[in-house]
Amino acid sequence: MNERCAIVGVGQTHFKKRRDDVSIAGLLREAIDRALADAELTLRDIDAVVIGKAPDAFEGIVMPEIFLADAVGATNKPLLRVHTAGSVGGSTLVVGAHHVITGIHGTVLTVAWEKQSEGNAQWGLAGGRSGGIGAGGAFAPWMRAYIQQSGAPDYIGWMVAVKDRRNAAKNPYAHLKMPDITLEKVKESPMLWDPIRFHESCPSSDGACAAIVTNEEGAKRAPRPPAWIHGLSVRSELGQFPGRNPVRPQAGVECAHDVYRQAGITDPRSQIDMAELYVPFSWYEPMWLEGHDIAGPGEGWKMVDTGETDLGGAFPVNPSGGVLSTNAIGASGMVRFAEAAQQVRGLAGEHQVDGVRTALAQAYGGAAQYFAMGVLRNTPPE
Amino acid sequence: MRTSHERGIAEVTITVESTIKFPYKRSLGPVIGPFMTALAEQRFIAIRSGSRVICPPLEWDPETAAELPRDFVDVGPAGTVCTWSWVSRPTEQHPLDRPFAFALIKLDGADTALTHVVDVESIDQMSTGMRVAPRWRAERLGHITDVEAFVPGEEAITVNGGVPGEPVTMMSYDASITYKIPVSDNTIKAHEATAQGRLVGLKCPVCERIYARDRGFCPIDTVELTDDHEVELPQRGVVTSYTIITPVQYPGQTETEPFSRVMVLIDEIDVVMMYQPLVDVPVEDVRIGMRVAVVWASEAEKADAGRPGNLVGWMPTGEPDNTDPSLANRIM
Repeated sequence: MNERCAIVGVGQTHFKKRRDDVSIAGLLREAIDRALADAELTLRDIDAVVIGKAPDAFEGIVMPEIFLADAVGATNKPLLRVHTAGSVGGSTLVVGAHHVITGIHGTVLTVAWEKQSEGNAQWGLAGGRSGGIGAGGAFAPWMRAYIQQSGAPDYIGWMVAVKDRRNAAKNPYAHLKMPDITLEKVKESPMLWDPIRFHESCPSSDGACAAIVTNEEGAKRAPRPPAWIHGLSVRSELGQFPGRNPVRPQAGVECAHDVYRQAGITDPRSQIDMAELYVPFSWYEPMWLEGHDIAGPGEGWKMVDTGETDLGGAFPVNPSGGVLSTNAIGASGMVRFAEAAQQVRGLAGEHQVDGVRTALAQAYGGAAQYFAMGVLRNTPPE
Repeated sequence: MRTSHERGIAEVTITVESTIKFPYKRSLGPVIGPFMTALAEQRFIAIRSGSRVICPPLEWDPETAAELPRDFVDVGPAGTVCTWSWVSRPTEQHPLDRPFAFALIKLDGADTALTHVVDVESIDQMSTGMRVAPRWRAERLGHITDVEAFVPGEEAITVNGGVPGEPVTMMSYDASITYKIPVSDNTIKAHEATAQGRLVGLKCPVCERIYARDRGFCPIDTVELTDDHEVELPQRGVVTSYTIITPVQYPGQTETEPFSRVMVLIDEIDVVMMYQPLVDVPVEDVRIGMRVAVVWASEAEKADAGRPGNLVGWMPTGEPDNTDPSLANRIM
C-alpha cells in the first residue's frame, strides 16, 4: 500500500535561550496546540504519536516519552520515540509519515524538542587542553578540508552567517535575531575553533516543533493548503573509519539521491525552489550544497558568493534563519521540514520565498553520519 | 570522574569504574510549581479534573489530554497506603539510609496516589490500607524530599523554619551514574605498546584498513582483530588538517591559551590519527603539509600518575612541507 501523504499542520514554539516559564510537557504542548490549530484538528483526530529528541542526557530524563504520554495526547494510542542524534527531528517526521504512507494510520502527530537550558550546554564549548574540544572542534578540521579542497575564500562563512541571522529577523519563532549584523561584525567576532568564529556558530535553544501528517482524505479536509510529501529518506554511516570522507559523507549523497529519485528530480538546482538545510556552523551551507549534489564539486561556495542562496536568490537556503539562528537540537531537524512545508503552503510569512512549488528539507546528526531528507510540493504526487 | 582498576572480577581481568555526574535544572511550570511551593509550606495540593482530585497535580487530563483549569485543592496531610514495596538494602541513592518502604499513598481527599517513602523499623509494620502522615523536614526547598518520609499515624510532624519566600519555579537535580566497563585485551596491549614507545595498529585481513590497537574489530568487514593482526606503525607523518581552539571562559574553566589539534596521516601506510596535539609549535605556525614525528613522555613524565597516556603529541621534523594538494582529502 502506498498512500499519498501530506503535512497539514505545523506548530513551533518561540525559541529562546531559556523557557523557564513552562515545563517540558508545556513546551511540547505549545507546539502541538499550534499544529492542531493550523490543521483545525483536535487530539481526538490523532491516530498515533511519534516523538523525537536528541540524547536523554541533555535534560537528564531517561525515556521522557513515558512521562510525556498524556501531555502529548498518546493515552491509549501508539506512541513511538525516535532517536538519531541531531537529525532526529527529521527522522521523527519521516517515521510518522511512513505510518500514513503504508496505510497503517490516517493521521499522525509528530513532535520533536530540546530544552537545552535544563542541562548544561557547556560541553558544546571548548575547554582547555585537558578538557573537551567542543562540538565545533570536531567539525572544524572538516571545514578546513572543504575550504582547502574548494579554494573558497574565508568570507563565504561570514556571508552565510549574515544571511541566516538577517533571515531570522523576519521569523517570529527564531532565537537569534540580528537584523543589523554585517560581514565586519562576523569577521571581528572571537575565533572559537579556527576557521569557525563565534557568529558562525549556532546558539543553544529551548523549543519544540510539531507537524501533523495525514493521508489524502485528511489532506482534502484540511482548511489550509497541504504540503504534499514527494520523497522521504533516511540514511546513516559509521562516524569514523579509515578513508571516510566526512566532508561529503556517502550516506548524505545516497539520502539525497534517494529523495530526488522518489520526487522525479534530475537537476536539483533548477527543479527545487528552496531548501532548509541543517547548518549549525556557517561552512555547512556550501558543504551540503555539494554533499547533496545541488552544486558540483567546488561550486557550493560560489552559490553563496553570488547571492543565489539569499532569500531573494535563485536557490534560497534557510529563509527561516536556519540552525545557525535557532538550535534546540532535537527540534532542529523537524523545523527544517516544518519551514519547508510552510514555504510550499505559502504560509511562511515575512520570510516566504516567492512561488515555491518544490522544497527540500534536510537534517543531519552525529558525526555528520545520520541523514533525514524530504521533498515537499504544493501539488499531490501523480 | 573517578577511575579505579580492579582485578579478579569473573573472567575479566581488569575493569574501569567511571562515575558520571551532571547537574540539571528543571523548570516546573504552572502546576508542579505551585505543588512544590505548597510542599515548602508543609501542605499538599491537588488539582480537580472533572469529579476527580489528582495528586500530584497534572497540567493535562490524563485521559483526554485537555488542559485542566488551575483549580487547586488542599489534600492530606494524612493518607492511606494503596500498595508498597520493601527496600531491605538501601543504596546511597535511596532517600533513607536504613530499610524502608516505597509506597503509593492516597492522601485524604485525593483520588490518585502519590509515590513516597514510609519510614518504619521493619517490614512487619507495613500493610496495605495502613494510615500514614508526613514527617516534614526543617529545611524545605520546595522539593518532593521536603517530606522526609511518611510515618504510621494520623498526625503530620511539622517543623517551623526555612520556607522559601518566593514561589518555587525551578528544581535542581544532580544526576549520577556509575559504570563498570571491562577492559579488553586489545586495550591492554595498546597501553603496553605506548608504554614501550611503540605506535601499533591492527590490520584487517579483508580490507587491509588499519585501526587503532584497541579497536578490536573492523567495522567495515565485521572481522575480529587480535594480536595476529598487529602491525608496527611508522612514527612520522604529515598534517592533513587542523583547528586552533580558543578555550571558552565558562565557570570553572580557566585556560586561555589557544591550542591546536591536528590530523596526522602516518607515513607509508593508510592511517590518519585524528585530533592530535602538537608539541612546542606556536599556533600561527600550524599548517597543512607540515612534517611531524611522535613525542613520547619522558621517564619523569611517565612517573606522573596524573598523565593520561605516554603519547605526548607530535613535533615538527624540520623536513620540507609536503605540498601534495590531495592531502586535504585525508582527514580520516
